[in-house]
Amino acid sequence: MRNKRNAAIAGIVSLVVMTICLWLIVRNIGDPAMPLNTLAPAGKQNWEIFNLVKPVFFIAGLVFLAVEAGVIWMAVRFKRNKDDVDGVGEPTQTHGNTTLEIGWTLVPALVLAILAVFNVKTVLEIEKSENPIEVRVIGQQWWWEYRYDTNNDGTVDIITATQVVVPVGRDVKMKLQSNDVIHSFWIPAINGKLDAVPGRTHTLIMTADKPGIYQGQCTEYCGLSHGVMRMELKALPPAEFDKWVDAMTSVPDQPTDPKAIAGQELFVSQCARCHQVDGLTPESSPPFKYSKLPDPEYGQTVDSTLTSKNAPNLTHLMMRQTFAGSLLPLYQGKAAESVTAVPDGVPDRSNLKDWLRDPESVKPMNPENNQGMPNLQLSETQIDQLVAYLVTLK
Amino acid sequence: MALVEDHPPLELGSGAATVSKPLGVFARPTATHGWKSWLFTVDHKKIGIMYGVAAFFFLLVGGSEALLIRTQLAVPGAKLLSADVYNQVFTMHGVTMIFLAVMPMQSAFANYLLPLQIGARDVAFPRMNALSLWIWLSGAIFFNTSWFLGGGANGGWFNYAPNSGVTFSPGHGIDFYAVGLIIMGIGSTVSAINLTVTVLNMRSPGMTLMRMPVFTWMAFVTQVLLVFALPVITVALFLLMFDRLFDATFFDASKGGDPFLWQNLFWIFGHPEVYIMILPSFGIVSEIIPVFSRKPIFGYPFMVGSGIAIGFMGWGVWAHHMFASGIGTLSVLAFSLATMFIAVPTGVKILNWMATMYGGRIRLSTPMLFSIGLVAMFTIGGLSGVTHAFAPADAQQTDTYYIVAHFHYVLFGGALLGLFGGMYFWWPKMFGHFLNEKMGKWNFWIMLVGFNLTFGPMHILGLQGMMRRTYTYTEGQGFNFWNLIATIGAFTIAVSLILFMVNVALSYRRHKANPVDPGPDPWDARSPEWMIPSPAPEHNFDELPVVEEVDEFWHRKYGHDENGRLVRIARTEDVVQKGDATDVHLPSPSYWPLVMACGFPFVGYGLIFNYWWLVPGVLLIILGIFGWVFEPSTDPSAGHHHDDDYPTDDRPDAVDGSEDAPTDAEAGDGEVDGSSDDADERTLEPAMASTEETTVG
Amino acid sequence: MADIALEPVEDLEFPDDTHATSTGISNTKMAMWVYLASDCLLFGGLISTYLLYKNRPGSIPGLAGSPLKASELFNIPFTSMTSFILLMSSLTMVLAVNAVMGGDHKRMRLWLSATCVLGGLFLAGQVYEFTEFVREGLGYTSNVSASAFYTLTGFHGAHVAIGIIMLFSAVGYSFRKQLQAEAVEVLGLYWHFVDIVWVVIFAIVYLIP
Repeated sequence: MRNKRNAAIAGIVSLVVMTICLWLIVRNIGDPAMPLNTLAPAGKQNWEIFNLVKPVFFIAGLVFLAVEAGVIWMAVRFKRNKDDVDGVGEPTQTHGNTTLEIGWTLVPALVLAILAVFNVKTVLEIEKSENPIEVRVIGQQWWWEYRYDTNNDGTVDIITATQVVVPVGRDVKMKLQSNDVIHSFWIPAINGKLDAVPGRTHTLIMTADKPGIYQGQCTEYCGLSHGVMRMELKALPPAEFDKWVDAMTSVPDQPTDPKAIAGQELFVSQCARCHQVDGLTPESSPPFKYSKLPDPEYGQTVDSTLTSKNAPNLTHLMMRQTFAGSLLPLYQGKAAESVTAVPDGVPDRSNLKDWLRDPESVKPMNPENNQGMPNLQLSETQIDQLVAYLVTLK
Repeated sequence: MALVEDHPPLELGSGAATVSKPLGVFARPTATHGWKSWLFTVDHKKIGIMYGVAAFFFLLVGGSEALLIRTQLAVPGAKLLSADVYNQVFTMHGVTMIFLAVMPMQSAFANYLLPLQIGARDVAFPRMNALSLWIWLSGAIFFNTSWFLGGGANGGWFNYAPNSGVTFSPGHGIDFYAVGLIIMGIGSTVSAINLTVTVLNMRSPGMTLMRMPVFTWMAFVTQVLLVFALPVITVALFLLMFDRLFDATFFDASKGGDPFLWQNLFWIFGHPEVYIMILPSFGIVSEIIPVFSRKPIFGYPFMVGSGIAIGFMGWGVWAHHMFASGIGTLSVLAFSLATMFIAVPTGVKILNWMATMYGGRIRLSTPMLFSIGLVAMFTIGGLSGVTHAFAPADAQQTDTYYIVAHFHYVLFGGALLGLFGGMYFWWPKMFGHFLNEKMGKWNFWIMLVGFNLTFGPMHILGLQGMMRRTYTYTEGQGFNFWNLIATIGAFTIAVSLILFMVNVALSYRRHKANPVDPGPDPWDARSPEWMIPSPAPEHNFDELPVVEEVDEFWHRKYGHDENGRLVRIARTEDVVQKGDATDVHLPSPSYWPLVMACGFPFVGYGLIFNYWWLVPGVLLIILGIFGWVFEPSTDPSAGHHHDDDYPTDDRPDAVDGSEDAPTDAEAGDGEVDGSSDDADERTLEPAMASTEETTVG
Repeated sequence: MADIALEPVEDLEFPDDTHATSTGISNTKMAMWVYLASDCLLFGGLISTYLLYKNRPGSIPGLAGSPLKASELFNIPFTSMTSFILLMSSLTMVLAVNAVMGGDHKRMRLWLSATCVLGGLFLAGQVYEFTEFVREGLGYTSNVSASAFYTLTGFHGAHVAIGIIMLFSAVGYSFRKQLQAEAVEVLGLYWHFVDIVWVVIFAIVYLIP
């Protein structure tokens, strides 16, 4: 019959087309050209997730092919022909088939019940941690702060922003908090996301497999600049990580270049109102001295006008490789992506200058409502001096 | 509430004694043609059509917002919209599509079809039906005026606290969101109560619950869901409003509030809301597929049962929207498992639709194309839904474009395709002429292709890590190609929508130039609404159909032979109604629903801007209530009154409204109401045998 | 149910209330039941909110309010009394329904008015309680527990107030036209519901520590 042949052709063609569609998804697996790819695991937890997702996608893919091809096949196979006459050879009136229906209620339920076991297993697995280091991760509009207590004495000894640094192979317990609205911390290569909710502390375990800089993105809508609220996770080999901790727990050198010295004074008068460089406050006067420990309550101490009472700690600015919520590199060329404890390269001053000249042109912010950095109306000389100072902070 | 029952129908009907002085101001409108007959109507069919028109308008508004979004995201770093405007646009797009387009469009079908499908002359409370339309519309317009009064809401449709607080969103957009949704919620609650009562109480003789058409069932489940879901969001919205307008701190964590309260309340409403949007379309498709396959729906009890199961289970899975919120391992596990199994009743529906098609004689007319489209597209949305029922997988997928793809496959590929199918299917019943088939097919194929081009790539983008609600992305993130494709797809959908409008306009013109009566039953269909002329006469049925089985109308036309094959037993012309009854009492139109509804936006502006606006608002509402209670239950020229919340008024059939003086027979009718169960009229008693079942239901 | 079975199918009229409906329950009564079911969830949401917040201190800095909890100010004997008054109003409501069923419209008016008065007394008690709390430093915005308390009891108070208006209108209306028993019954449903909700609120908010 003509219908039968056409239906077979339609079914096969649709199978081919649908398979190509599925292939478009499958080919993303492991693609490193996409920095946020969820299908390219580089951490223990995402491997767990990936291994759970694989059979689920596989079964879903099969059902997809069966249903789509089935529907198309039927639409062609049982199509009314032009020469069909109503009342002659009309279809058999089937009202249902209880056995069949109970069957296709139970079979999917059974399949799902089996998958449910793996679901439960994975949920529990990705929450496990062994001898973890703890990092407090604080979200605010629109950047992330990380606090370490490296010697476990109960006081914060490192406050940094934008780039969180962890040792490879070690479980890291991220304690997520928020200073204003809900944000979501997400480094897709390592683990799924978890919200940082004001008034609560949530725990997310991350274990990086291999050294690298992994990108992330805030995934809970958090207002104006949500779309560009990014973060990075730098995984270092354990020895390198120790070096990083050493660098971060010692004080930066005082500036020697006159331009930078002028910049430091400018920093104290213009920036210290919100930004902390350990040891400096708006009231500090020369000779300036850095302190070894940051003030965890800095925003309250200096009474910052910001809604979140917090701005990025700049003490070791140049130990990071990006700034402005990971939007802009701090170093030129490859140095911005090198996986070393202490970044080594030529600072990208023009990015810093652009930022200081008009922060809102780089990243949408709402300083009139105390959200984000205001334009300080600095002169070009002042910007030069400030940048000269900022690049000494390492 | 008392307003409804203050009319004492029992005591009336005794003729002259009850003729009250018809106060001029409280007279009822009488227009049967022109715009007045629409504004003041209480006819469920006109109300349904107005829901549809308004919903379609807002579909275009929401669609334009979608085009702005897609244009902004077509290339990396586009500057068409600023972050601020973009955030407003995507918020308004979501709210508009959900509350102003899809929900009212399902209301349109529910309003138009429920009474027809259960064999009733109108809904239980016709004036309240008009009231719910106008309140909803006033809320919808109020909500959209925010564009001109300082900017739209910018918190996302889910509007998570504390970002929705005054501290973080100092403009008025979110005030409009809270107040606007409360107003629309009032309208929807009234409508849901009304339709629930209608289905429970107004079924024609013999129409037991398990004989109702599947669309009626699904729309009924929807109304019940609305009845229970709306108060929950109302609480949340009131708390939000008190936070924003009266300085309460329900959601302000820094002052003791808990942002999770909002999330829980919102999603306890929000998840049933998903089924509120999708179930009516499931119903529509369950009507269309049997008609065009010329087979009964496969497994009617399973279809109904799975719909009810979805409705029930929908209440137990809300926290799957919160897997990444940090609700704790135990909650995640419980909700994850519950969510996995809600796939089962949905799967049953898909397979039963396929089984209905199997072995049929399928006419691939436009309504059927849209229905098959729904089955195929919704399956994709359902399957992607299963993939993120797995909580760990969801931790990767949630708040990425994978989710955007998922719910558009559900709500566009599911709800909207079904609604378009429904429009092509019932157009002749509603307007007395077909939509052009050829253009309809183009409409379908272009929409299907555009839809898949837009939302198919979003699966890929999401898995590649593109997050939701982002106003931009950069070169090097690998999102360029598929975003461009999605934008092309969005404009393709726009073309299909334009084609639909052209089709409507051209078909109407062709019909005006050369009217061809489609007849009562143009598709050789199965449910009671096809027993009456097209367009449906104002009084619906000359006589209420007595129902003996599912697909009553079909079985009056067809039987089957010993092999179970279809055999015609009666000509359609012989079993349909003429629609020419003139002695049917219908409720009179009323000014007051509209008057009352007009008060609500003023109350809204009053709350947001200046309390003085409350004065006209409250006055209008009080005037509306007052007029409602004191208007005569029919137009003054008529001889006697009836409780007007039942279609008992003796306004002559509007079609030939000239013969208005009530005849003796009519007056007699009025008098015997309630006592007319004379034995000789019970000729069709067997049909009533199963009314016991009804009471159980 | 006999009514339904005997319903004449040829009748083009929609017979009124009790005769025509498929379930045998009149439309208005059914609508009231559905509405009350819906209202249960409204109060459910508000009660949950109160339970979540009742023990959260957190006064708002800069406002005159104190970190008081509403529960610290409760005057149980007083509220018990007003609760008793409200419960009594349910009794008078029953009597009103009884009266109208028996066709005694005069007595019905009397009992409806009594219900109004008792409801009014309850509301007055609530207003007194609120002003007392405010005087002791617990304003609406003093803290979340206060906001939750006032919102919950305020919503209930609004329900009572609307009930009183409806009862009052019914009494007024009955002078003009005879009230149908059914209408009073449906009003009664609403009133009893509001009372039951108060019993729940009184137990959960006031009595459970």
